[in-house]
Amino acid sequence: MSEFILKTEKLTKVYAMGKRKIPALSGVDLQVNKGEFVAIMGPSGSGKTTLLNVLGCLDTPTGGMMILNGIDVTKLPEKKLYRIRRDEIGFIFQTFNLLPYLNAAENVELPMEGTKKPKVERRKRARELLGMVGLSGREAHRPQRLSAGEQQRVAIARALANDPAIVLADEPTGNLDTENKYEIVRLLGRLNIDQGTTIVMVTHDSQIASHTERILFLNDGKITREKQGFHLVKKKLMCPYCGGRIQLSDVRCPSCRKRL
Amino acid sequence: MRAFLVIIALGFSMAIMISIPAGIIANQKSTQNLTENFNSTISNMEEEINKASTLIECSTSSGQGMFSGSPSGGPSGMPNFGFGQGEVFINETVGDEIRSITGVKDVVPFLEKSSEENTSETMDTPRGSFTISRPLYTIIGVCLNSTFIDDYSILPTNITAGGALQEGDSRVVLMSSNLTDYYGVGVGDKVEIYGESFTIVGIYEPTSQGRMETREVYMNISDAQTITDNAGNVSRLDIYAEDVSNVDGIAEVINAAYSELYVTTYKDRLTNLENMQEMYTQTLNNAESTLSQTQATATQEIIVAVAATSLIVLFVMLYTVRERTKEIGTLKAIGFSSWNVMSQFLLEGILISLMAAVVGIAIGSIGAPFLSSLLLPHISLFGGSSSGRFGLSFGSANSGMTGSQAASATLDPQLVLLAFGAAVLLGALGSLYPAWRAARIRPAEAMRYE
Repeated sequence: MSEFILKTEKLTKVYAMGKRKIPALSGVDLQVNKGEFVAIMGPSGSGKTTLLNVLGCLDTPTGGMMILNGIDVTKLPEKKLYRIRRDEIGFIFQTFNLLPYLNAAENVELPMEGTKKPKVERRKRARELLGMVGLSGREAHRPQRLSAGEQQRVAIARALANDPAIVLADEPTGNLDTENKYEIVRLLGRLNIDQGTTIVMVTHDSQIASHTERILFLNDGKITREKQGFHLVKKKLMCPYCGGRIQLSDVRCPSCRKRL
Repeated sequence: MRAFLVIIALGFSMAIMISIPAGIIANQKSTQNLTENFNSTISNMEEEINKASTLIECSTSSGQGMFSGSPSGGPSGMPNFGFGQGEVFINETVGDEIRSITGVKDVVPFLEKSSEENTSETMDTPRGSFTISRPLYTIIGVCLNSTFIDDYSILPTNITAGGALQEGDSRVVLMSSNLTDYYGVGVGDKVEIYGESFTIVGIYEPTSQGRMETREVYMNISDAQTITDNAGNVSRLDIYAEDVSNVDGIAEVINAAYSELYVTTYKDRLTNLENMQEMYTQTLNNAESTLSQTQATATQEIIVAVAATSLIVLFVMLYTVRERTKEIGTLKAIGFSSWNVMSQFLLEGILISLMAAVVGIAIGSIGAPFLSSLLLPHISLFGGSSSGRFGLSFGSANSGMTGSQAASATLDPQLVLLAFGAAVLLGALGSLYPAWRAARIRPAEAMRYE
């Protein structure tokens, strides 16, 4: 039994619309282990985004319990919650949400603003992270001068700025074309393997979801099903058909030429 | 672009905010100036009166005999503001008779006669402008006796060109510069006075009688008598007593013997000075009460300007917060605390109003006189009295008071500093509520907001 980073029990969220109460989450039990790459799938209205917001401490649950990196965050007040969001969580948005008047490096430095890290260190870290997502030399570019895919890479670098325990991605490929979609999901996969980053990704795209190692299906505010993705296989860097060595970037097995 | 417009709008309200105190300060300064000038004039005049304590002025008309307060020490002759009407003359033998009264040291005769030609001029006063018609010049015939010239300063001393009249001079004149300018003549040129030709030997700087400059022609008294058909006549006698103790006795004798003469001693002059002082003190008091009234108005206007400024900041910042809800949500989602967000917006509000302060000071430094004269009630210091009659010359204060009060409203560095302080304060005040609103935004809700 590996160590868990995130665990919820009977997590509920009810929205009050006037007198009517609309349940968005009705008892979610889930566990994400350290170093896992998990996808949450479900039709629209199934509560995917609500779940991710609650997991990301952007919203408080109505009931249930949630433990993040050993901290019970269920009853934490807002004035403590912001530290959790800053230090334990990296958030990636569907619409990138970069600040338009800051350049790439400054956007990446943003989450480090409240930390004690000196300015020089922050700058260094930002450069390092932008290099990691393949944007070396683009540090001084403003978001409007970057492509959508590049903007999402900056957002990923920003999510990693404070070395969080978990990265939560809300439809990270939703606003991207096919080519960029796979670029981004492959980038997340590589970060998962190279850096050991724990990632939970919400998506409605089964192709994208299959790039993770575990896919959870959400229906009417409950996790109804679980499935393995092929990232699990790739992670072992071994061909599932012939057992030969493969690279993460390989589309076909170099030995048996079978599609991975 | 929006920020630019906002800063301009804010700048205007800040300009108003700083122009009003600038106007008030200008008003205070000019009132203070007036007080100082007035006090020095009074003390100068007192000194003059005491110096000439043995002088008894005997004039044929009541308008004369008022002591001239000109600090230049010019002769005591004053133009009659009755402007030539009722100019009365007495025979110069009266002078000889007075000369024989015990205690009299000297009798200096003068003949003053206005020109037949008149000019019209417009005077601008705080109560409006009006046109005055007065003689083009006044002839002052003086007895050119070297003792008189030396001892009693019967001629103007502030000569700018040529020289003064000498004993025995005839057919020559000493003219005030405004007259030579009028005729376009200089020293050595000839002018025609009462149909006779005279040579100008000297030009002097005229003294002011309130807002009017005197226009006088000094000549030998015998010339004056000849050309004005006043042979043997004089209009004024300056009598000098041996000692101050003789003055009262001599005045009494003259009063009893010559009812046609208006006698003025240093005591009368001091009484007049006191009256004048009283009158001006009252004027100054009026000015001060008007000033405090103005200050009350100014306070109200400043309150309105302050309220307007903070309201502009408030609405602009509220709009900004609304517009940037998603950004605020993002910031909170990536770990900004409520305080971080709040201080960010406070800072922005302060920054906007600081920039507005710069614009405001720029507008204010150009438009302060205009703005303050637009916004402050005008002060008329000379509500009831005309200063002209008293021959008081207030120098700079006089000209300052004549025009619009706020004409001299300028921004001093202290006010500029104050404006920046106010900008910081109002920026913070105006953006306090919007910043608090921003801090309270819940990230999950902000994410749904497009």
